[in-house]
Amino acid sequence: MTNARTAKTTREKAAELRAQAERQEARRRNLLITAAVAAVILIVIAAVVLVRVASNDQKAKDAALNGPPANVVSGGFLVGNANAKATIELYEDFQCPVCKAFESANGAAIKAWVAAGTAKVIYHPVAILDADTKYSTRSANAAAAVQNADPKAFQAFHDLLYTNQPAEGGSGLPDSQLIDYAVQAGVAKASIEPAITSQKYAGWVGLQTDDFSQKGFTGTPSVVVNGKKLGTASTIPSPTDLKAAVEAAAK
Amino acid sequence: MQIPTALTARLPWAATAIRLGLGWVFVAAGWPKFTDPEGTVRSVRAFQLVPETFVRPFAYALPTLELVLAALLVLGLLTRLAALVTAALMVMFIVGIATAWGRGLSIDCGCFGATGTTVADPVAGYVKDLLRDTAFLAGALVLTWRPFSRLSLDALLGLTHPPRARELVTIGAGDH
Repeated sequence: MTNARTAKTTREKAAELRAQAERQEARRRNLLITAAVAAVILIVIAAVVLVRVASNDQKAKDAALNGPPANVVSGGFLVGNANAKATIELYEDFQCPVCKAFESANGAAIKAWVAAGTAKVIYHPVAILDADTKYSTRSANAAAAVQNADPKAFQAFHDLLYTNQPAEGGSGLPDSQLIDYAVQAGVAKASIEPAITSQKYAGWVGLQTDDFSQKGFTGTPSVVVNGKKLGTASTIPSPTDLKAAVEAAAK
Repeated sequence: MQIPTALTARLPWAATAIRLGLGWVFVAAGWPKFTDPEGTVRSVRAFQLVPETFVRPFAYALPTLELVLAALLVLGLLTRLAALVTAALMVMFIVGIATAWGRGLSIDCGCFGATGTTVADPVAGYVKDLLRDTAFLAGALVLTWRPFSRLSLDALLGLTHPPRARELVTIGAGDH
């Protein structure tokens, strides 16, 4: 009786120990799998980060190699008399519909101020709406090529791109169309074609876009008059506000 | 914790639904960010929370992590760890959006990829984003609490056990 009970207890104890060992083994195995998977994940994430940081550094190097386009003033394209008291800085993306709306609401007034010598404009190319065909970058690159070839043609090219703005999210205008508009704006085809097809200034456009973002701007158009951003952080200025700001700056 | 039997039976399926739901969210949120790294860099910078030196590494790592979490959640592998990291991410997003609102920033959160548009009225967006992320946080916490789910690699590999079985083990171990 006593022996049987003792034996049973021993058997139970052995079973218990075995179960405990199994549980420990299972826990060890789970920990091992978890650690292995976690390690793979960390390596994948680190690899992506390293590759992308390196590729970004390479882009900056390429941009430096091709150099900025000629005739760049304060990182943008100057239109008007450099001595005009009011400076309107426009950060625009050729693919941005709000920029098109801003241009149709204010373009004529801006041209009048420029013609009167009241204000000058610095157009800052920004490429933040690149879809699959990278139209934001391609159009800004084309504008840089035009500015590089002949600053006098820039305004007409700029206006043509807004008048003929392609639908957002589509494939954008093809390079051949950009070249046609550049010729229409008054530059010789040979002087811009290679830069447009090879996207010579794409790296420079990327750097200007970084600069735009690092200045704290988050959307286009961002309108700055004599160093002060107009509108609240989230709205574009009305023609009335723009007029008031330009007149105050021109005094 | 004592769980009613009906709930115990259904919880693994609910966990599967949460897993697949959150996994899908991370695909929808991670893929556009992953394929537009520069847009993501600008979105991260717009929050003005990450120092400039770390903006790029952070913006490159985040969508990669989101896609990894999507894979883990859809496969049901390391569910508890994935759910815990998901919950931590959601807390981070909620803090980021709430403080952007509090600091008067007018930004699009870029949660599902950068849009590059100016936001006319950011408050509606902030409220929507915060409610959505809070719901995701709740899901992630439920999954952290009870990670066992049907159709999961965890169950297949024996990494997790149904709550009932685990409780039986506990009772057996304690019954000397």
